[in-house]
Amino acid sequence: MAHCPAKWSVRFLGYSVMCFQKLILVLLIMASVAFGCLSPAQSGQQQDLEKSVVLIRSIKQDFDYVTPWKQEAMREGIGSGFIIEGKRVLTNAHNVSNCKYIELRKENIAKLYPARFAFIGHDCDLAILTVNDEAFFDGTVALELTEIPTVNSTVSTYGFPVGGNRISVTEGVVSRIETDTYVHSGADGHLVIQTDAAINPGNSGGPVMQKGKVVGVAFQGISEAENIGYLIPTTVVRHFLTDIKDGKYDGFGSLGVLFYPGLHSASYKDYLNIPMHEDGIVVIATMMHSSVESILQPSDVITQIDDYNIDNDGMVQIYGLRLHMSEVIETKQIGGTIRLTFYRQGKQMKETATVDLNRPIFEQARQYDQPPRYLCFAGMVFVPATRNFLETWGRDWPKEIPHYLRYLFRHSIQLNTDRKRKEYVVLSEIMPDEVNSYAHKFKNKVVKSINGIIIRDLEDIPNAFKHPEGNFHIIEFMVENRTLPIDAIKAQQRHPSILEKYHVTPEARLERKL
Amino acid sequence: MKNQIVLTSIAFVAMLARCSLLVATENKRSNLTEAMKQSIVYLKTSSYGYTQGQPWRHKQLSENWVCACAVGEYEVITTAQSVVNNAFLKALRYGQNEFIGAKLKVVDYESDLCLIELDPHGMYRPLKPLVFTEDYNRGTEVDSYWLSSDNRLYNGRGYLDRTVIEKTRTSYEKRLHYVVANTSHHTSRGEIYCAGPAPIGIACWSNDNKETGLIPAEGINRFLEATANKNYGGFGAVGFATSELLDPSVRAFLKMPTSLKNGVYVADVYNLGTGCNVLRKGDVIMAIDRQVLNSYGRFMHPKYKWLSFEHLITSKTVGQKVRFELWRDGERKDVLAEVKNFKASQMLVPYHEYGRQPEYVIIGGFILQKLTREYLTELGQDWAGRVSPHLYHYYRDLAFKPTAERSDIVILSYVLPANINIGYSNLRQDVVKKFNGMTISSIADIPIAQKLNPESEYDVIEFELDNPVVVIPCKQLPAADKFIHKNYGIRKLSNIYR
Repeated sequence: MAHCPAKWSVRFLGYSVMCFQKLILVLLIMASVAFGCLSPAQSGQQQDLEKSVVLIRSIKQDFDYVTPWKQEAMREGIGSGFIIEGKRVLTNAHNVSNCKYIELRKENIAKLYPARFAFIGHDCDLAILTVNDEAFFDGTVALELTEIPTVNSTVSTYGFPVGGNRISVTEGVVSRIETDTYVHSGADGHLVIQTDAAINPGNSGGPVMQKGKVVGVAFQGISEAENIGYLIPTTVVRHFLTDIKDGKYDGFGSLGVLFYPGLHSASYKDYLNIPMHEDGIVVIATMMHSSVESILQPSDVITQIDDYNIDNDGMVQIYGLRLHMSEVIETKQIGGTIRLTFYRQGKQMKETATVDLNRPIFEQARQYDQPPRYLCFAGMVFVPATRNFLETWGRDWPKEIPHYLRYLFRHSIQLNTDRKRKEYVVLSEIMPDEVNSYAHKFKNKVVKSINGIIIRDLEDIPNAFKHPEGNFHIIEFMVENRTLPIDAIKAQQRHPSILEKYHVTPEARLERKL
Repeated sequence: MKNQIVLTSIAFVAMLARCSLLVATENKRSNLTEAMKQSIVYLKTSSYGYTQGQPWRHKQLSENWVCACAVGEYEVITTAQSVVNNAFLKALRYGQNEFIGAKLKVVDYESDLCLIELDPHGMYRPLKPLVFTEDYNRGTEVDSYWLSSDNRLYNGRGYLDRTVIEKTRTSYEKRLHYVVANTSHHTSRGEIYCAGPAPIGIACWSNDNKETGLIPAEGINRFLEATANKNYGGFGAVGFATSELLDPSVRAFLKMPTSLKNGVYVADVYNLGTGCNVLRKGDVIMAIDRQVLNSYGRFMHPKYKWLSFEHLITSKTVGQKVRFELWRDGERKDVLAEVKNFKASQMLVPYHEYGRQPEYVIIGGFILQKLTREYLTELGQDWAGRVSPHLYHYYRDLAFKPTAERSDIVILSYVLPANINIGYSNLRQDVVKKFNGMTISSIADIPIAQKLNPESEYDVIEFELDNPVVVIPCKQLPAADKFIHKNYGIRKLSNIYR
């Protein structure tokens, strides 16, 4: 009997609570230009389509989440993209995230075209690029999107795998359509299409075509399996394109409800007073401040979402397929409404809920394109607890991170009872100095309070340090029995020289990027 | 030329000095091989523990061996780690072909020592008891002795390098150990170490750096003295956790005068063990029994030099008194505490439950069991990173803090698939909060809670941290339990001691 620590059965609508994955999914961007490859024989129509597939070269620079005033070394990435209506290039977000410079190249044309991203959706791994030079679009056609392909139908993948200068086209069969985690964010789950067409690094962002139309965007694969690649279906692409029509990207929403798909038990059904003929899912909890916090209660059973009946696995019939009920929510934009039919103590109820982002206190998704927030005081660096920070522990971070950070990451929704809390703040680094000589033991601890002021947000810290308790700044940490006192006068005196010594500039970055 | 002569002379003198040193050293060593033949036995041990994840199942029977030495004519002593989950013991002595019957008399996992009785009828003549000497000469050469299964008495060498207060291999308790360096063999099976003609300790661990840990004579003699008392109560256990007190800011914050340089900070106080009822978090322990503690919590021992403070408590027997000199609330204060210890099973998350079957109840395929450290460690070497963080939180932060309201953490460890539990088979490692509305404070509450609502149609289990409610139809239970008993080959659907 194997014991599995990760729990798969309880999940959020449209949002994976836990990050441990069954298989190692990898993004298909290439780290650097490698060797070329030959494209297959092409028909005239195909050649027209191929003119719309472009190579994307980007220069990236990631952020350092422990000492956040610094950035990592620059690196180069290669991916694919394709032209869609409106003289835009659609590609994967991971091709152009944390990017300093983007240039595009068309097959058989030497000219390089600088580009910039107009919109980027990290939760759905899609981005729209624009090119200033209109000549870039000469001779190209805007590729059209079509519906979800059927399982076992043939699709062709276009792109520049392993960085070749010539386009590559490979054929394969659609083998599965399901909801899965998008590796780019690491936490968001949407519909994916699995294919056995060869999808390799560099293919990312390239179109996957059927009958001359786009059925998906190639984006990730499985490193431990042969010829298993994934596409972003057009349902997700269309959601993204609709979202940006108002000039800003809002993202995919959810309801913020934790449910259990376990109403297979007739006893459980009877206990909850649910008619035997009804199927549905049991509400376990609602997220604090979520759209449904005032609508749903634990032990409610949701049986219908809009006009879709929910089965005991939490699945609905949509697009002619049996898919996770989150698909219904994904048809809505943020601010859209959804009708819920549910039972409470035997009574059927109907309510309308608003779709919203509903992110947990401890953000589980990786963040990009926003410089990390931090504050440095007396050599102590404070940062918000984020997945990016946890991932600084390396590949095995879910096992390697300190216990309490793991506990909060996994259960912040249940553990946080503070309605005013916006985030958890961690003492991420100590820049050694005489004022903080004994603070190293508190590294990576979660800050509870400073000078008696509860720290619910990084922005609480500057004010907290303005009110020392007598001669000391008193820092208390969660599940830590020791207190860290810092000499207040010495801290004030030493602070500027520490900033100078360690080239910490600016001393804080507190604002959230909108 | 003159220089050459001078150098040659120096080298010669140095060589002579070295030779005389070697002679002197050799003179100090004693070959006790003959004497040990009458005092050392080879013990064959069989252990038969339980699988923690499937607590009704025995692990595979395993056999091992260990060396033991005579402390009475028919009594031998060895490490407790050798007899964990012991099912059977037999001894072999030098020059005798037949095995001798043996049985455990006293086992102290906290001290990592056990006393074993041999069957006098199985021996041609009594053993010759060894007397352990408490002399400690750092740097002295030591010899080790052990008896092999083919009845040969071996010996090895090393030198006494240092003392250390460290966790024993079988418990959470810290004890004094000698460390022998440059050992000629990996020795951690109860081999007897002697300095000159006298035994000084029993081997309890070894590592790849050619080091061996010894349970020293002091601990052995104290154990033997205590076991001579019919009501063996064991030795003190520490009931608090400390943290070094180096930071001058912390000292100033605690209003300690700058003239006070010593003392260690009390970071946590448990609900069990010595000092738990008199110490407070934030106290500074300046001295224990007049032994001044430095900022790291060490005191100057007349023989061993700097030792960690635990020794001052764990070297006392239960019931004795211990005096703490404290810095509390800005002033000095003395408190007197009774030396206490506790069984691992009294912990909220027991460190071990050696020698007995884990406590569990299976109801409709739902395996409810007591959370123990052994259960967690069975998940593999990297268990701390793999186990549910909620369970790890109980182990890490609350293991020593049982309360009247909660003496066990009861978990749903696994669901044995059956018709009665369809839809629940993915549940595991969830902490039980209530059973039929009754708050569960120990595994023994489960059968009581089950009888609470005899008229109720369902047994209902609630969990911590937002989990589904488990609903078990009572009428179907007898048939379901019968199925589980038969289908999964589980002879006993419950094992509760209280």
